[in-house]
This record gives sequence, C-alpha cells and structure tokens, in this order.
Amino acid sequence: MEQLLFSLMNGVIYGLLLFMVSAGLTLIFGMMGVLNFAHASFYMLGAYFAYTLQGVAGFWPAVIAAPLLVGLIGVAVERCFLRRVHRHGHAHELLLTFGLSFIIAESIKLFYGNYPVDYRVPAPLDFSAFSIGSTQYPFYRLLMGGIAIAMFIAIYLMLTRTRVGIVVRSAIHRPSMAEALGHNVPLVFMGVFGVGAALAGLAGAVAGAFYTTNPNMALELGVMVFVVVVVGGLGSLAGAMLASLLIGIITSLAVTVDASLADLFALFGAGEWARGIGGLMTLNLSSLAATLPFALMLLVLLVRPGGLLGENG
Amino acid sequence: MRKTLITCVAGAALLAALPFLLSQGLLNAAIQMLIAALFASAYNLLCGQAGMLSFGHAAYFGVGAFATVHAMNAVGGAGLLPTPLMPLAGALGGLVFGAIAGWFATQRSGTYFAMITLAIAELVHSLAPHLKGVFGGEAGISTMRMPTWGYDFGSTTQVYYLTLAWVLTAMALLYLYTRTPLGRLTLGLRENSHRLKFLGYNVHGLSTLVFAISAMFSGMAGGLQVLSNESANYVVFDPSLSAAAVLNTYIGGVQVFLGPAFGAALMTFFGYAISDLTRSWLLYQGILFVLVMMFLPTGLTGLIAITGRLRERHAPARLMPLFVLAAACAVLAGAGTVFTIELLQRLFSQEYRALMQAGAGGPWPAVALFDRSWQPGSPATWGVPLLLFGAAALLYWRCRQILNALADGEPAPSGPAPAQHSEESA
Amino acid sequence: MNKLNLSAITVASALGAFCAMPASAAPVKIGLVETLSGPQASSGQAYRTAVRYVVDQINAAGGWNGEPVELLEYDNQGGPAGAADKLKAAAADGVQIVVQGASSAIGGQITEDIRKHNLRNPGKEMVYINMGAEALELTGEKCNFYHFRFAGNAQVRTKALVEGMKKAGALGGKVYSINQNYSWGQDMQQAIIDNQKAGGYTVVEKTLHDVNKIQDFSPYVAKIAASGADTVITGNWSNDLLLLMKASKAAGLKARYGTVYLDQPGNLANAGDLAEGNFVVHTFNAEAGGPDAEQFVQDYQAKTGHMPVFIEPQTVYGMKMVADALKRTQPANGALSVNALAQALETARIQTPMGEMSMRAADHQAQLPMVVSAVSHDARHKVDGTGMGFKPVLLLTAQQASTPAQASCKMKRPG
Repeated sequence: MEQLLFSLMNGVIYGLLLFMVSAGLTLIFGMMGVLNFAHASFYMLGAYFAYTLQGVAGFWPAVIAAPLLVGLIGVAVERCFLRRVHRHGHAHELLLTFGLSFIIAESIKLFYGNYPVDYRVPAPLDFSAFSIGSTQYPFYRLLMGGIAIAMFIAIYLMLTRTRVGIVVRSAIHRPSMAEALGHNVPLVFMGVFGVGAALAGLAGAVAGAFYTTNPNMALELGVMVFVVVVVGGLGSLAGAMLASLLIGIITSLAVTVDASLADLFALFGAGEWARGIGGLMTLNLSSLAATLPFALMLLVLLVRPGGLLGENG
Repeated sequence: MRKTLITCVAGAALLAALPFLLSQGLLNAAIQMLIAALFASAYNLLCGQAGMLSFGHAAYFGVGAFATVHAMNAVGGAGLLPTPLMPLAGALGGLVFGAIAGWFATQRSGTYFAMITLAIAELVHSLAPHLKGVFGGEAGISTMRMPTWGYDFGSTTQVYYLTLAWVLTAMALLYLYTRTPLGRLTLGLRENSHRLKFLGYNVHGLSTLVFAISAMFSGMAGGLQVLSNESANYVVFDPSLSAAAVLNTYIGGVQVFLGPAFGAALMTFFGYAISDLTRSWLLYQGILFVLVMMFLPTGLTGLIAITGRLRERHAPARLMPLFVLAAACAVLAGAGTVFTIELLQRLFSQEYRALMQAGAGGPWPAVALFDRSWQPGSPATWGVPLLLFGAAALLYWRCRQILNALADGEPAPSGPAPAQHSEESA
Repeated sequence: MNKLNLSAITVASALGAFCAMPASAAPVKIGLVETLSGPQASSGQAYRTAVRYVVDQINAAGGWNGEPVELLEYDNQGGPAGAADKLKAAAADGVQIVVQGASSAIGGQITEDIRKHNLRNPGKEMVYINMGAEALELTGEKCNFYHFRFAGNAQVRTKALVEGMKKAGALGGKVYSINQNYSWGQDMQQAIIDNQKAGGYTVVEKTLHDVNKIQDFSPYVAKIAASGADTVITGNWSNDLLLLMKASKAAGLKARYGTVYLDQPGNLANAGDLAEGNFVVHTFNAEAGGPDAEQFVQDYQAKTGHMPVFIEPQTVYGMKMVADALKRTQPANGALSVNALAQALETARIQTPMGEMSMRAADHQAQLPMVVSAVSHDARHKVDGTGMGFKPVLLLTAQQASTPAQASCKMKRPG
C-alpha cells in the first residue's frame, strides 16, 4: 500500500518536472508553429549555469539567475537565428533548432568536460519531509513539485488575467489581426520564446541538483518532452500539465507491475499458449516502463490528434 | 537534356573507376556515401516531392536491414536469395512495414503526420532491445556474404561494385518515377492535396503508396548497409539516424533531384574524415548545419542555381572577383572558427586543467596546436583568430558591396559606397 | 585507346617495380578503434590515454624489431556501424593489432568482423585486444582465436564482490539484484543468482531496466524497500548507477550497495556522502599494491596529469601483456606475424602490483587479480576532489578470482 502511495507521489513529482520543461515548448509551438528541438538544451543550460553560479553566489541566487541567463539566450536565438529562417518554412526552423541543440550540447562538453559535474542539493535543503513506513520522502522533491505548481499558476494567471496575457493569447490564435490592431507581434514572439526558454532553464536549475547534471541531459529528457507536448495538445498549457502528470504516473506505476501480456491471457486460460509464443507476450510491463509513453503518444495521435486538451486536428 | 545525360554518364563512369583511384579505406567510405545518398533520395521522395516531413525514416531503413540479415542467415546460412539480390529482401521489408505505418501516418497531415512517424520510430526503437529473437541483443545479428555466381564478395572492391550497381539502378528508378503520372501526382500532394481530393483522387491511398515506395527504397539502402557491414544492430533505429536523413536532405537541397544525394554523400564523408582529426567534430557539424540553414536555405545545390542566375545577368569577368572573394571569406572564417574552437578545447580539457593545478601560481602552461606551441596569456595567440575573423568580415563586406553594385547595374565602387545607393533596390 | 593502355601499363609496372623493392622492417601498427566523441566519449578517451601511456613506454624501450610501434586512433562514433567502417579503414592502413574497450556492443561487432576478415585474408590477419567489453558471450559462444580479453567479466566480478563483502561483514541474507537490460546486465543477474550458495544469501527479487533511459529510479527503490532486502548488488554504470544511489538516499533506504562501476570518474563527486560504506569490485587499488603500485601511480600521474582510475589500470596492464608477447615474437620476413603474436599472447604472463596476471588459452580470458574496496574517508588516495576514496577490503589473486571457462566456447585454432 505504501509502495503504491510512494509510486503515485513520485509519478506526480516527475510529471511536474516534465511539465516545467514542456510548458515553454507547448507555448512556443502554439504561437509560432516551431517545434523547438533545442528546448531540452535550454534545460541543460539552466542546470550548468546554476552549477557554475552556485560556487560564486550560493544556491538560491544561482537558481534565480540561471533561468534569466537562459531566457536571454532564448531571446537571442529567436532574434538572430529563427527570425531569419522563418520565411523558408517550418522544416528549416526545425532543422535550425536541431543544429543549435548540437552546438549547445557540444559547447557544454567543450567547457565542462564529458563527465557529470558536482551539482548537488545544498545541505540545508537535503532532509526528508516525512516517512511512511520505513521509506522516507525527501523534502527537495516536494520543493520541486511546489515550484512547478507555482509556475503553472503564475503563467495561467498571467495569460488569463493580465493585459500582456491577452495580447499573447491573441498573438497565438490570430497573429495577423493582433498585428493589425497595432501590437508588436514580433516582440511578443521574442518574449514568449525567451520566457519558454527561461522556464526550461528553471527546471534544469532545480532538477539538475537532484538528478545528475551531465552533457547528455538534453538527450535523456528531450524525447519525453515531445511526447508530453503532443499528448497534451500542441499549444495548450493545461493539456501539458495533464499529459505530464499522466505520463509521470504511468511510468512510475508501470515499474511496480511485473505482469506481462501472457499473464493477461492466463486469466482466460490461454497462458501456456501465450508464453509459448514468447517475444512481445512475455515482456514484463516493468521493463517496458520507458516504452509506454510512446505507445500512448501513438494512440493519442491516431484517435485524437489534437491532443487531450488541444484543438481537434 | 543531352548535357545532363552526358554529365550523368560521366559521373557514373567516374564512380565506376573509383576502386582504381582510392585506397581501400576510402573505398569503404565511398560505399557508405552511396548508401547514405540512396537513403536521402528515398527520403526526399516523401519529404521534398510529396511534402510530408517524416521524422522516423530510420525505422524503414532498419526494418530493411533486419529483413536482409535474416534472409542472409536463412536456410542454415546459405541465404534465401543469391547474395547480389539480397537488397530485394530489404526492399520488401521496407515496403511492407512502410505500407502499414504509412496507412496510419497519412491519416493526418503536417505536424501531426511528423509526430506519428516519430512515435512509430521511437516505439520500434524502444521495443527492439527487448525482442532478442528478431533484433539480436546489443551486439546485433551478424552474418556473412556467401559466394555466388563465381564471385566470393570478400573484397571491398566487389562489395563496392555491387552497391554501386544497386544505387545507380535505384536512383534511375527514382528519377523515372518523377516522370510518371504517379510522380506528378506526388508533386500534387505537396502543392494542394485538398484540390486533388476534389479532382477525384483517393488522397489517403495515394499518400500511403508514396510512403510505401519511399520506405521500400529506404529498406533497400538498409539491406545494402547490411551487405557491406555483415551485421545489423538495433542502434539503427536511433532517432539521430532519422535526423541525419532530414539534415542531409536539406543541406543538399530539395529542389534538385540529386541534391539530397549530394548532401548525404558530403556529410557522410565529413563525419568520416573529420571524426578522426578532432574531438569536436560534432560541434563543427552543428555549426555547418546552422550556417547552411541560415544562409543557404535552398541547400548547397542551391548555390548552383544562384550562380546560374548571376551568370545569366552578368559577365563572368565581373563575377570572378566575387567568387574568389567569397571563397576566400569562407576559408578565412572557417580557419578562424577552427582555431578558436581547438584552442578552447585544449584550454578546457582535463589534461590542461591538471597541468594548471600542477603548476599553480605560475603562468599558464603552453598549448600545443597545429604542431606549434601557443601561450594562452600572450596576445599573439588570441590575435590569430581575431585577425582571421577580421579579414573574413572585411571580405564579406566587400562581397556585399559587389553584389549590391551588380544588382544596381553599376560597376563595383572601389571605396565605400555613397549613401544614396543603399536606397535603391534591384 | 591503345596509347592509353600502353601508358597505363607503363605506370602500373613502374609502380609494381617500386613496390617490389625489398621492404624495410614494417613497423607494428596498433589501431585504437574507440568511442572518442558523442555521449559515451568519456570512457573512450580514458582508454586512449592508457593505451598511449604504454605505447610510449614500449617505444622508449626500443619498440619492436628496431622500429617504434605506431598508434593510430579511429573514432567509431559511438556505434557498431561506425566501428565496422573504421575497422575496415584500419585494415586498409595496415593495422594488425586492434584495441577497444568501451562497449560490449561494439566489442561484439569487432570480434565478428575480425573473424571474417581473417577468414578472407589469410596472411593479413588482425588480432582484437579487448580491454573492457565484459559481456560473457565474447569468451563464450562468440569466442575466437584472434580475440583476447584483458578485462574481467560478470562471473569473475560477482564472485570477487560477494567474497569481499562477506569478509567485511556487509553482505546480508537478502540480496536484491537490479541490472540493465542488455547482455552485461543479464550476465550480472545470472552471476548474482549463481553465487547464492557461496555468499550465503538468497536473491529476494531481480529487476532489469532500460539502459540509460530512466531518470527517476524512485519506483525501483520503492520495490527494493518493499522486498525487505538489506543488500543491493548491481552492475549499473554511469547515470544508471548514480541515479539509483541518489534515489535510495533520498528515500532513506538502509541497504548496502555492491557495485562494479562505482569508481567511474565523477560518481563519488556527484554522490557525495551517500556513497560512503558502499562496495566496488575493481582491478586496481593503489593502496593494496604496495610500493610498486605507488610508483606506477606517480609515473602515470606525471605522464598524463591524473591518477590511473577506473579502466585505465587494467588497460595499462593488458597492454603490458601485449608488449611482453611482442617481445617474444620473432619477426617473419621483417614483419609481424599475427598468428605468432597470438600464440605468444596465449602464454603471456606478467607481474603487476596487484599480483600475477596471465592469459588462459582455452577461452582467451585473462586471469586477473581482483580487489574489493569500500568507499571511506580513511582511504589513502582521495578521488574526484572529495574527501573520500576506495579503501581495499580484500585482494584476490588471479587463481582465487578465476571462474571456469564457458562450455559454449569452441575455439577454432589455425593450422
């Protein structure tokens, strides 16, 4: 029972981490139609900047400054690179971000080396919040979850209750009309890109201490973020939240299930036959935990391509 | 028409003569370049001609590869087909899997189509390590080419000629495809599929057919790689291979039929040659991608079109200085970038950091680069890249001047252009 | 057309005459086909440093047959397809000794490719010196006369680890086995099960997970806690190991870890104090080797700038065995005969600071001494800039650490 509870909590927190990174991506896609392959690289940059600044300024100033730096880089990317390529079509923008992700990953390897760096949770924050049974739950995880939820509320309120939010939302849905009404839509694009990058940077700064900070961070998280954005609906913030929670919980719970398809067939008395076939039938769900999100993505794309909460494709 | 035919025949003759001109190592690289060129051309059928950007094309390459390796190992190792016909097994595998995947994927369009292909590829990539019987473990499945028709296919030269024959045949078929009504319909899919539907065509069936044909040639390329490497490994489903296909196609240029093939051959050779020269070759590759995407959106073969247009309007005598300056600018900028990156790489490397710690307090130790020793503290070391970049910037500015002047229809000014010229546009 | 033929024949015969001139002693070429770029570049570069160190020593001692030994480096770009390409390039460059270690997948590709190359090119054979690909099948069903492994394997490592942890009193009665789902992890899982009787424990549960894909190990830690195990034995490396240990510390899991790859650079720095008290089985620990080991460490540090860690010592001693075999191989027509070298390698035997190291001819698995160490603040050599290092707990000689050759190895010998 406590295992189930822990798995649920872990799943929720991991989902919230995914949300922090994918929130920016879904906003950027919804607004500009650009699938930013470099988004996970912003996550990695946030972790590395926080690591570098932590030695100089301490943990909290580093966690606040790193996202700002990453946001500035995001603004520079949009202004100098993406804007030039915008008129050639989506494929070019995509490939440009792909090339940028290479450059960022290799530059980090150049400056910081190939091995993981020593970015750790600071001692004051490194205690357990509570324990159920014999297992403890670390406080830092709850902190990460709290930051993600705060971020979600802040963005949501900003988008729906402030004037800037209204302009941003209109630029997402009707960019030409918003421009005709006199708003500086290119500036809005730049701002959204920058904010999206900063959000990913914040996620990196916070999560890099808990998980490892190494040059392959972007690759590890990169594909999962795309799955979240697609399943949730391209452009929908609430969809991203729902999808990240769903994927986090599914991945977490699947690890505890040691059953396979053959066991399912055994319920109907066809267990021996299924086991004889081998292959897909005898694969444990627990070892397939990392494959499930892709199956979910395929299912959603075929049945409801707009995503769970997106517009109908 | 005749000119292109003669160029093609000459090109094929040059390729056929390569084993006499290259060393065995380079010949093997040439085989990989041919395979990459075929894969990129097959991908271009879907992406450039039918307008459907697919992100997971390595899946069909991989399925073709595994189909071939199982065919080669079948019948107790003797093989289901004679060795020279093995790529047909790959083509069949690619065709079948492509038809199934394409039927699902082409139900949607645009970004959703791309995401479905990505999901399919990632699903196969995740499942492959678990299905040991089909995909082998992480060591893959190995096989051996059986002697057939009097050849033992043991030497690289024979494998090269086999690959060349298949690639030339496949490229010819792909070119002839563009000349058929189906090929024209494919272009129609890209231009306006909605209108095609109103004209009475079954757009979904058509898209699936195009997808399947593209997957068939990709599977053939996979089979050729298995023939060359004599093994198939599930890392072939890695998303980076799909990404490489997309990148090669766009770097080559989708407007020209041979563009993707050229881009793929160039980037494969780049990876092969540069990876042994420097540790940061992936960084150079990334920079190359970004520069081509930003400054040459029609790809490298687009350069041919640009120079063609310039030659139509201006005399070669006025264009020669422009070309020379542009080439010099590129070389200088490249040299400056390489110098800076190599210097930074050595300064930040583990060995240097250990050296610095050992000699703490004293001046920074020297860095060995290009067979010379450079002091990091001295301005001469940093002056070299600054000089190179400065010269490149100067040449770039001069090139822009000449281009503007050509566009304005006046002889190129020898000094800074007067202000009013910037107002006029061609 | 005739003129072309005539001039071609003239050029060809001139070239032929040039080539037929008696060749001076052909230098031995060693090719390092390693992962020098991409995500796994860190291990590949460590192999390169260690191999270069020994090749410099060989050349300082006079090389082979009066000529210095050449070291050529090839980047396999992290995958078996790249390795196959670079192997062909190495063959074209005249490389006779191929060295690699960073991945069992690439090791599997190289050993098969070399077997086929040698079948097709008698007289121009190549030999594969395996410094780190520890999958059992390489000395099992894929064993091959031209492959020599100078690293451990899952059986050897687990046997030593279990003995060491038992001696230190850290091995409980309930062991949880968690490994990566590929050949190495599966070999480890089997070895952990096989050693139950010797270690006096039962395996309460075993898990295989995806390689390098999992960020959040807390569900696995929850499973470990639920099983009631007091010891965890794992063959995980790099991120998989680090994240597993971090997740267990976060959950306050009180189990002891027995690992194979805890000494990978960066692990102790990242793990911090949570690594204390956990065990690792490795092939070299300077503290257990006496003055010879210290001297080796000083020399290595002077030449390369850092202490030999992780796979570097085993690579150095493996290359020293190769050097020993080279010394005992007489030149044939001024060049190296790989068959003669292989036969000399089969009987190679050297003294290392850890003990004697030799090659077993039956399956070409080197017999190496093994050290089991615990992470402690009392260790003499601190690692990764932390205050901790590896304190040896048990040193096993090659005989004690050895496990029998696998029955699936049916080696075909030439001639």
